[in-house]
Amino acid sequence: MKIFRSQLRQELTVMARNGEQLLLLVVIPIMLLIFFAQTDFLPTNSENKIDFLMPGILGLAVMSTAMVSLGIATGFERSYGVLKRLGTTPLGTRRLILAKVVAICVIEIAQLVLLIFVGQLLGWNPSRVNLAQVLVLLLIGTSCFAGIGLTLAGRLRAEINLAAQNGLYLVLLLLGGIFASNDELPKTLGDVAQVLPSSLLSSLLRNSFNNNELVITDAIALGGWALSACALAVISFKWSD
Amino acid sequence: MSAKSCELRTVMVMNFSGQSHEVAISVRDLVVDYKQLRAVNKISFDVKQGQVTVVIGPNGAGKTSTMEVCSGVRTATSGKISVLGLDPQKDRSKLNSQIGVMLQDGGVYPSARVFEVAQHYCNLYGNRTTATELLDAVDLNRQRKTSWRRLSGGEKQRLSLALALAAKPRVAFLDEPTSGVDIFGRDLIRGIVRRLADDGCAVIMATHELDEAQRVADHVLMFQDGNLLANAPLAELRGSAGVNQTLEDIFRDLSNNSAVSKSRDTQ
Repeated sequence: MKIFRSQLRQELTVMARNGEQLLLLVVIPIMLLIFFAQTDFLPTNSENKIDFLMPGILGLAVMSTAMVSLGIATGFERSYGVLKRLGTTPLGTRRLILAKVVAICVIEIAQLVLLIFVGQLLGWNPSRVNLAQVLVLLLIGTSCFAGIGLTLAGRLRAEINLAAQNGLYLVLLLLGGIFASNDELPKTLGDVAQVLPSSLLSSLLRNSFNNNELVITDAIALGGWALSACALAVISFKWSD
Repeated sequence: MSAKSCELRTVMVMNFSGQSHEVAISVRDLVVDYKQLRAVNKISFDVKQGQVTVVIGPNGAGKTSTMEVCSGVRTATSGKISVLGLDPQKDRSKLNSQIGVMLQDGGVYPSARVFEVAQHYCNLYGNRTTATELLDAVDLNRQRKTSWRRLSGGEKQRLSLALALAAKPRVAFLDEPTSGVDIFGRDLIRGIVRRLADDGCAVIMATHELDEAQRVADHVLMFQDGNLLANAPLAELRGSAGVNQTLEDIFRDLSNNSAVSKSRDTQ
């Protein structure tokens, strides 16, 4: 337990020192939220604008932490030989991964609290929310994005990994049905977007917050993404360059 | 000079005959291949407890590959390796609590601070020593709050060595601990290495600085092109070569001989 706590502390300290991550994790989601909530760019009608936006932004926050932040940090740890060296200590793979998972969850909780607070200031007040369902979906989303982030981090060179994570973040953001429904996209692109994990998560969250509904097929698809991404990460991950 | 090295020789020979040293690492027919390239070519050797075994040879001779296979970081292509009676791959979790490893590149996150990393490594090994004690040993207590990125090359090496000491290891793997280190740092590191061995630890240390090797080695493994040119106590190597011969001279001789015999083989 002491070993685990020490590793967790190390993970959180290193993450907290990466100031530029703050932009990605907190500033960008909040700015997007405020901007689109206060303007009329979105094709949705103004009454339920914030109800449409908020679930997608929460999904985006999860993606930025679990995929981009974890992925980039792990990529650099690999290239600096940090993982290789830890591999010679009694830490062990299981404790290392667990420490990373808990560290992400801690950051996500902070993000969600902050975003929900800002959302409330903007008049967000979901009435028919199924909280347990939301939490489960966020967890599945977290494992899915962590799997994707670690798959890239476990193979690519640190700098290429950095670019790839940010690029993928942008693609998944634009095709994530976060600001507008995927129906607004050209037909083929919309069909592709529909099955991307960011779209699945945002629409699942939207249904849980606004209608207390669960589209089983979407949930299964997201679960499938999570399972395969994590499996791929486990199979392909290389501890050193 | 020669009187001094004579004296050194006598002390060492006595040391060899006076104490029995248990085998800590045993390597048999080790082969390491990287795709097309054979980095280590079927070598065998032992490393004994209470001795400093120095691995020397030019860049790309197979030193690091061999050390990494023994410390469990790398998988061997073939061969039999045993460290403290354990298999470095299969028994990795058991072995890791008994070994200290200093990699060629530090393996510390650049933003992490000196004391913080030392404390973390102490925790990882169940606090067999304290961070302050470790940093005292390598003279880094004044830099406790400095981040890894801001340390000089020599300070990085000293911290990296300190982290390997957190294990209170029975076997220490040190990959080029003195590279980029100034003269005082070298003395300090050499002192630590000697004390480790005197306390019964098996130290295996790679370097391509032969003067360094000569000052600290009990036993020498000379590598070239993945082969072992020599595997002998330092005293014996120097005894056979003549008192005034440095390791560098010995290496050149052996290297030339092997080249001659190789070209004879191919003719």
